[in-house]
Amino acid sequence: MDAAEAGPTATFLKPADTLSPRDRRLGKWLLAPALAYIFLLVALPFLLALFLSLTNSSAGSLDFSFVGLQNFRSVVTNPVFLRALRNTFVFTFVSQFLVIMLGNILARALLEQFRGKLLVRFLILMPWAAPISLATLGWLWIFDSTFSVINWLLKVAGWLGPGQWYYWLGDPALGMVAIITVHVWRLLPFSTVILLAGLTSIPAEVHEAADIDGAGPLAKTFQITIPMMLPILSVAVLFGTVFTFTDMNVVYLLTRGGPYNSTHVLASLAYQEGVLGGDVGRGASIAIFLLPLLVAMAIVMLRRSRRAEVA
Amino acid sequence: METRRQFISKGGRLVAAGMAAAAAGPTVFTRGAGAADKTLKILQWSHFVPAYDKWFDPFAKEWGAKHGIEVTVDHVGFADVVPRATAEVAAQSGHDIHMFIGLGSAFEEHVIDLKDVVANLEKKYGKPVELAYRSTYNPFTKKQFAVSDMWVPDPGNYHKKIWTDIGQPNGPSTYEDLVKAAPEIKKKYPQMQIPIGIGLSQDIDSNMAVRNMLWCHGGSIQDKDGNLVLNSPETLNALEYAKRLYSVGMTQAVLSWNAASNNQAFNAQETSYILNSISAYRTAQDNNLPVLENYFFVPALKGPTGIMLASEHVMSGYVVWKFSKSQESAKEFLVALIDASRESMLASKLYNFPSFYGAAADPGTPMSRKYESGAAWISKQCNSDPFGSKPADKLALLAKALPWSTNLGYPGFANPAEGEIFDTYVITDMFAKAATGALPPKDALAEANTRAKEIFGKWRKKAMVPGGAKDR
Amino acid sequence: MRRGPLRKALATVGHRVTILGFTAFAIFPFYWMLITTFKQNSDLYVGASNTAHNPFIFNQPPTLLHLKTLFQNTLYLTWLFNTLWVGAIVVLITLVLAVPAAYSLARLTGRWGERLSIGIFLTYLVPSTLLFIPFSRLVALLGLQNHLGALVLIYPTFTVPFCTWLLMGFFKTLPKEVEESAMVDGCSRLGAIGRVVLPLAMPGLLTVVIFALTLTIQEFVYSLTFISSVERMTVSVGVPVALVRGDVYYWGSLMAACLITSAPLAIIYNLFLDRFIAGFTVGAIR
Repeated sequence: MDAAEAGPTATFLKPADTLSPRDRRLGKWLLAPALAYIFLLVALPFLLALFLSLTNSSAGSLDFSFVGLQNFRSVVTNPVFLRALRNTFVFTFVSQFLVIMLGNILARALLEQFRGKLLVRFLILMPWAAPISLATLGWLWIFDSTFSVINWLLKVAGWLGPGQWYYWLGDPALGMVAIITVHVWRLLPFSTVILLAGLTSIPAEVHEAADIDGAGPLAKTFQITIPMMLPILSVAVLFGTVFTFTDMNVVYLLTRGGPYNSTHVLASLAYQEGVLGGDVGRGASIAIFLLPLLVAMAIVMLRRSRRAEVA
Repeated sequence: METRRQFISKGGRLVAAGMAAAAAGPTVFTRGAGAADKTLKILQWSHFVPAYDKWFDPFAKEWGAKHGIEVTVDHVGFADVVPRATAEVAAQSGHDIHMFIGLGSAFEEHVIDLKDVVANLEKKYGKPVELAYRSTYNPFTKKQFAVSDMWVPDPGNYHKKIWTDIGQPNGPSTYEDLVKAAPEIKKKYPQMQIPIGIGLSQDIDSNMAVRNMLWCHGGSIQDKDGNLVLNSPETLNALEYAKRLYSVGMTQAVLSWNAASNNQAFNAQETSYILNSISAYRTAQDNNLPVLENYFFVPALKGPTGIMLASEHVMSGYVVWKFSKSQESAKEFLVALIDASRESMLASKLYNFPSFYGAAADPGTPMSRKYESGAAWISKQCNSDPFGSKPADKLALLAKALPWSTNLGYPGFANPAEGEIFDTYVITDMFAKAATGALPPKDALAEANTRAKEIFGKWRKKAMVPGGAKDR
Repeated sequence: MRRGPLRKALATVGHRVTILGFTAFAIFPFYWMLITTFKQNSDLYVGASNTAHNPFIFNQPPTLLHLKTLFQNTLYLTWLFNTLWVGAIVVLITLVLAVPAAYSLARLTGRWGERLSIGIFLTYLVPSTLLFIPFSRLVALLGLQNHLGALVLIYPTFTVPFCTWLLMGFFKTLPKEVEESAMVDGCSRLGAIGRVVLPLAMPGLLTVVIFALTLTIQEFVYSLTFISSVERMTVSVGVPVALVRGDVYYWGSLMAACLITSAPLAIIYNLFLDRFIAGFTVGAIR
């Protein structure tokens, strides 16, 4: 075939032109089932939900009237909504930052051989394997104002004096710490695995060449490791970001958005207003705010990762 | 060409096979759908007393068997009662009967009118208790949107030893008592961080508690005609009270409490007073916890002007969906359920109180005496707890709970606007912010009032809620 | 230099401490869950301000009561079976839909394929709290209400978009020469895919399997919405329904359920891990 004979470089030039019509047809057929499924089951329902956000539908009934952008207008001026918007960003970026940093350290540590490595790997994977609704219940007790085992440890260690206590879920700031902790706990295994894969994929010769050139560990990290791992790093970051950004479970199960709505994120607020409160239009309009933000972030990251791949 | 087509069709067949397998698989483990031509599907909460469900499910099925109807009972967690209803309304199919444990009024437009069922029951047993009436009927649209079979009183639970030590062996009787007692309890029991365990969080217990405080200080969300009267000096008084109480008797812990938290705190003897139904007490009995010998009850507390009111803790509201195809069977079942009010109360270990007192009357009592007979039977159970209270009359006060128990929406009816305010925690947030000082009480009130106005306005536009002329 | 061995020793200690620290962080809640599974309730309900009472040990003899409650008074095993069943089928469907689509986007489409792939990924971002209402109607229309088939139908909406995009990236890292040399040897394009590309893409496929399985097992909003019969529930929904009753939590049984569901999965993931990582190394060498 032309492509193979022309050599590897040619395959990166105008790939479409080198495809046979047969291949292009095959491509369309292979793509069709997934595309059809996604269109029917995601795009259409999404449009319906978008539509509902412009109505005053109650409890999802299809008997409603149009209210135009009123839902959006009333939501945007609501201080609870603005706080939830802020929280969504804070939780996501802080937990992602921690997950990448900690994941890096852990991945490096797992590169070495040591006794009990298999057991350690099993234990480290547990948070990812646990069903989130049940695991969060465990954390609920661990942070509980009356029974918190963390507080018990701190008290025994002398950190908490008489009359001092941490109200993990009752204090707005500590509530955010608790939520971020559970997010990090849960995402660390996945990111570590991805980073580990990325680290092992860097051939040893590259590191050795850098050592010969006299590069220190920091320079190696920033000029070699990170750029070479960028495609994989962006998978880990993108996935983790989307996951945390759209998460409702952790917030809802731990604090239900409290105290006084101060730890809500957009997803949990949408659930409270739309599903529990019955104002589906309002809930939909809150949830829809997630989308432009996610789309913008996703596009940025996807472009970045593509550029890195080509390089 | 062949390979592509084969590939696609193979894939398609795989998917179809997969779905067929999915459909077939676990049905191996379920009863096959019977050949009965009439069916009735009921959705019910998971009662906190598992024994009640063990009575209810067979009861429903046997009733069905006697009438040639196949009855299915499904359970759902209490926090999921509303989301499940939302989903079924969106799908326009699901169960026939749905049990709400609070305000089902938001779903009024999607359910049928049950006037005839209630008329039938009133003919048999007399009128239901006032709070049940006001929780299941909308006088503005004149629709009987639900039927209530039971309600649950919400007494104060107090720790006898602690309160005796501070000189009040019979527990608190006014809200001021709480404020006075808290510092003394802290002095005698310094490790007790939350002497008074009243929640201010986004959950059902707190919703009830803050309304109790609001009403006992003379305030309310609406008046009896549905006008929004939240913005009043009485409400401010209630908020000021909450602020005082919080500063001496509570900590941030109560801002994170869920429905189980006050139970657990009291049972661990980490607080001396909570507002709860007898669920926590039964847990203490079942597990033989050390707190048991000091576990006692008091009625609702009095406010500064003597108002003594507490909300019901749970109010059942059975609705029948408009999309149900078994509406007649549903109605008959609801009547049968209320006929069994005595069994229901006993099966729930006295948690459920009948909404139709007459249904608990001795058989053969004339109509005029049905209510008294029923009340007498209820008193007998409470005075001598069949489930092992020591002393046996520990629960006697519950039989006298009606005078101080009222419905959500007091002094008006439990309408959809009140329902949405309840479900989105507008009032608990107001109290929490004022009590903790996050906002000055006036601002917390203003914020809540704005939201309440929006909600009331929305429902008034739908012509389901009255009032508006005398809003404050 | 004497610095050498000392430095090495310190590095080793530092390494072990790091590993220990992370492991402790990961399993700390599970340890608590394990103890709670066997603790008597009177041993559990003691406030943490009571420093004399250590919540991490058995202050009273352990009990099997909670396990008994879980296995005898609830349909836990049925839920586990349902969950795994749904998980397996959803993984299958995801593979069937995503693998061809990803390959096509990576190899057989041009620039419009790139843009389409971003579009497909973006559908992953639509949250379930928004979609469950239109889905309810769809499920009812198809007569799948209260049927596990509803989950099988709906779950791929969040596995297929992401897996397609993930696999696409993966296929792109495999050099085109791989298929082309197979085709030169007389294979059709599809044959080349099956014989050469898929084996090389094993880490990617494993990622998809693990990812889809994990998300399916953890999902509970849709499961709650579409399934109402207790015997058809999945673990995420059934366990709270049976063990969180009103305001009483059956902690011992709840935590037992969490542990018993997580441990086997973690073992399986652990077994896949080496294959997964090895595959990345191969794929990266060009």
